[in-house]
Amino acid sequence: MLHLIKLELKKGRFNSYLWGSMIAYGIIASFLMLLYFVEGKAQIDPAFQNYSDMLQVIDIMVRATFIIYASVLLSKLIITEFKDKTMALLFTYPISRKKLIFAKLSIVFVWVFANVIIANLIIDALFIAINSRFGYVSDTLTSEILVQHAIYVVMQALGAAGMSLLPLAFGMRKKSVPATIVSSILIVAVICSNNMGFSLSSIIAIPLSLAAIGILISYLSFRNIDRVDVS
Amino acid sequence: MTDIIRTRLLSKNYDKADVLTSVNMTVKRGEIYGFLGPNGAGKSTLMKILLGLVQPSSGEIELFENRLNFDSRDHLKRVGHLIEIPAFYEKLTALQNLELHTEYMGYYNKRAIHEALELVQLLGVENKPVKQFSLGMRQRLGIARAISTRPELLLLDEPINGLDPEGIHAMRNLFRRLRDEWGITLLISSHVLSEIEQVADKIGVINNGRLIREVSMETVRSSTTDYVEITTSDIVSAAFVLEEKLNIKNFRKISDHVIRIYDSGITQDALSKGLIMNDVPIESLTRRHHTLEEYFFDMIKGGVDYAPSHQARA
Repeated sequence: MLHLIKLELKKGRFNSYLWGSMIAYGIIASFLMLLYFVEGKAQIDPAFQNYSDMLQVIDIMVRATFIIYASVLLSKLIITEFKDKTMALLFTYPISRKKLIFAKLSIVFVWVFANVIIANLIIDALFIAINSRFGYVSDTLTSEILVQHAIYVVMQALGAAGMSLLPLAFGMRKKSVPATIVSSILIVAVICSNNMGFSLSSIIAIPLSLAAIGILISYLSFRNIDRVDVS
Repeated sequence: MTDIIRTRLLSKNYDKADVLTSVNMTVKRGEIYGFLGPNGAGKSTLMKILLGLVQPSSGEIELFENRLNFDSRDHLKRVGHLIEIPAFYEKLTALQNLELHTEYMGYYNKRAIHEALELVQLLGVENKPVKQFSLGMRQRLGIARAISTRPELLLLDEPINGLDPEGIHAMRNLFRRLRDEWGITLLISSHVLSEIEQVADKIGVINNGRLIREVSMETVRSSTTDYVEITTSDIVSAAFVLEEKLNIKNFRKISDHVIRIYDSGITQDALSKGLIMNDVPIESLTRRHHTLEEYFFDMIKGGVDYAPSHQARA
């Protein structure tokens, strides 16, 4: 299995994706900085009420970004391979089709999970450092907040990783890249949108159950792959 | 010789359309099997079934003397293939494509890649991305990919598509070499007989999803010779003159007025002169060439005639 994953990474020239996520980190950080410096000073209704609020906003931005990013990966690893007929080539190898698909899906899953955690770590650290200098968020940072948030981020990362597989179910119907990406944007719009400080994803059960659905649907759509005719 | 491919009553239907009907095909180890039939006859489908890409609706397949199941994969290590227009990872170079292929196939011999590229004359461009390749180059790269793992069985679907005459010639030589030097068994499909008649050892003719006939090329060649047909009102003296005066032994009376002369080496001029000089009345004298093309066209037409009765039964 590791060998299959290695081959996928070799084929996809994964370095470009590493650069992509670096750029994504940069854009998230600079957008949040804009928010912090422009609205942070406001006396009424500031951007971030307190630390836990700030960390949650960072987390939601990160997840939204990488769920959409995952749909691009899914398009490249699965949808385009079907469209370009290289999937038929892969299926003529002495390897079970389920394993081939599983290798691809696990790349996406791990990619989202790892990126959500790493991005949270980096950007959280950055903002805690910035705030220690500018102090727009005025409450004290306790280790309790940090530990709680760490657990929260891990759960959310799991949720995001599972959810990121959902768009595949839509994209696979017509083997369409736009359908995959648009459906990921819709999922993000519903789950990660912030209404008056509340988003669906802040109830942790919702992202986690969506993740379970994502994994289940991917399993169901590839359950019979070994019996399907590939043209 | 052992059978490398054997199918028994192999059928495939999509919804209600029959693509393959009761195909019994046998390919022996070490032969080049020409798989001939018009477009849409079911050639590609059969090859895809052998590769496990398409599941048969009914029937059995034995490859390398093992019965295949829907999830058989191990035999694929021993099969190389080129189906339709070969698909590549366009952004990767030719070499990277072949390296990936051998890795997936579990075949580790870097020299084999080099050798395969050399055989199809693609050395020198192996570091170019495949998207810059022309159709003919892709086709050749596809063949290189197919042989880069030294398979025992090679399935080639219309391998000559998109090649120039020189390329076709080189390809034919390559096929022979693969059979003779590497001991590979080849199944080559084509809709143009002339493409494969020179290399094939055996030919299977398929039409409307039915394998009409399997026949060795030797049999085909012996039944498709040239002949000169003479129509005359005096067949007795014509036969006498041919045998005694013109020294031609290899002729046959077809009817009371028609004689056919086979591979005599005599020109039409000399023949008519000789007959007239000996007072044999000639009504007509024509050279007939019964080509392989006609031979197979007849076979396929026979198949078409046969098909409606089958449909009526269904």
